[in-house]
Amino acid sequence: METFQRIVKLGYTNFWRNRWLTLGATLLMTLTLIMISVSLVLSLIVQDLATTIRSKIDLTIYFRDDAVLDSDITALGDRIKLQNGVAEVTFTDKRAALTIWNRLPINENIKRPVGESYNPLPRSLQIRSENPDNIQGLVSTIATQDSQKIICNECVSYSKNKETVDRLLSITRFVQKAGLFLSLFFGIIAVFNVMNIIRITINARADEIEIMRYVGASNAFVRGPFIVEGILYGVLGTIFTTIFLLLIAYLVSGSINTVFVSFGVDFFQLIIVNLWTLIGIQLAIGVLLGVIVSSISVRRFLKA
Amino acid sequence: MQEILTVGSPRLTRPATDSKVKVPLIEMKAATKKYGSRAAVSDVTLVIYEGEFVCLVGQSGVGKTTLIKFLTKQESPSSGSVFVAGRNLADLRGSELPYYRRKIGVVFQDFKLLPQKTVFENVAFALEVCGVARADILRRVEKVLDLVNLGRRKNNYPSELSGGERQRAAIARALVHGPKLLIADEPTGNLDPVNTFEIIDLLYRINQKGTTVILATHNRQAVDRIQKRVLLMKSGKLVSDQKTGKYVI
Repeated sequence: METFQRIVKLGYTNFWRNRWLTLGATLLMTLTLIMISVSLVLSLIVQDLATTIRSKIDLTIYFRDDAVLDSDITALGDRIKLQNGVAEVTFTDKRAALTIWNRLPINENIKRPVGESYNPLPRSLQIRSENPDNIQGLVSTIATQDSQKIICNECVSYSKNKETVDRLLSITRFVQKAGLFLSLFFGIIAVFNVMNIIRITINARADEIEIMRYVGASNAFVRGPFIVEGILYGVLGTIFTTIFLLLIAYLVSGSINTVFVSFGVDFFQLIIVNLWTLIGIQLAIGVLLGVIVSSISVRRFLKA
Repeated sequence: MQEILTVGSPRLTRPATDSKVKVPLIEMKAATKKYGSRAAVSDVTLVIYEGEFVCLVGQSGVGKTTLIKFLTKQESPSSGSVFVAGRNLADLRGSELPYYRRKIGVVFQDFKLLPQKTVFENVAFALEVCGVARADILRRVEKVLDLVNLGRRKNNYPSELSGGERQRAAIARALVHGPKLLIADEPTGNLDPVNTFEIIDLLYRINQKGTTVILATHNRQAVDRIQKRVLLMKSGKLVSDQKTGKYVI
């Protein structure tokens, strides 16, 4: 126990005594962890975004005013609701359609002619699928039924939205892949830098290692303090990275949220919700990297 | 049974002997070290007995340090063998090496003190790394610092000491384990004549207390002063072995 305490104390003392070198190693470790964390956060955002986009894919059927009663439409809605994969069916009558119309951010001159007295807005059923990929199937099911004649011409919203949604999804997939690739690339560079600076800190203490070996320190005792230092690099790197992430999230979340507001992604909230997972991953990677590099670097001094 | 050297386990023991009978501590048999085609040490055979004071002399580069590195097992002979306390060092496993080194003390020309530790801490460090209890460390370090006459400088850092004091601190560190063998590799190389004689006298006193001392040096006055056994090396070979010799090239 006394030996263990000595090893920990020695590791801590060495870490503090060579503070400029260890600060360099800690900052590089922080950089590595930031690379990895940014990649993780990016992947979380894109995942969240993709889910939101997919949840926005719905099918809206508009009905001719003269062809069908409200009760028939709700009955049709109930039938559709029973089909597999349908999550929600919402009926919008003419009054509700007018309310939505009035809320639309469009020119008042276009809005004004439409009102209680003249309301050409069609009634509609909004159908949300559990899986957006099933929507195509739903469209063909409804289209084959004889209800076709009561539906407005070209009034199924899905087909015109599909192209935009698909493009958005492919962009998010590309951003996700490009982000991962870039983070991986910079992450590897950062890992090499961490390896090099830890090796430099150990080489700078070659004399000390030599003395320890002359006076009969066991290999475990020589290696121990360096492993403690490796752990400290990981722990401090994690603390700095977390502070950096929270600060960046806090500073930029306002502008990011403005961009993504229609998709319902709250950047700061996203980080807060996943904070412990992020810290856990950073700590595991940081400590593991510090310990492995320190052990490998000190090993070559333990041969003779 | 008298314990000679403890090297890991099992403990090395030798039968108790008559105090007048010389017990070999170091035996080298045709020890040779080659670096490529060049031989740093060539065919050295010698025996050093317990309690001896041996001066290993010769000019720089004749192989004194390589011979010493055989004993600290920093180097192994390319051919031949080296025995310490009856144990062939070639058989010593890596895990046993720290325990072996705790049984020999080594002193260098450049002192090899840790600059950020005080004299006391430098000496205590040798015991700390071996897991000795704190109270025991305090007692043993105080005792050895008194022996080298550095008690009053124990809280000073190496940079605050003279060359002679630094070397005495290094000797204290080498002795704190209570080794059977003390190896001094050019311990006076960086010292002025007064400090040189102080160190040589200290080594002599340590030897008088029973520790075997090997002093590698090219300092003629130091060797002539103590009138002990002199081994002379030339071009990697042991060329003379005088019982109470002088430094003669």
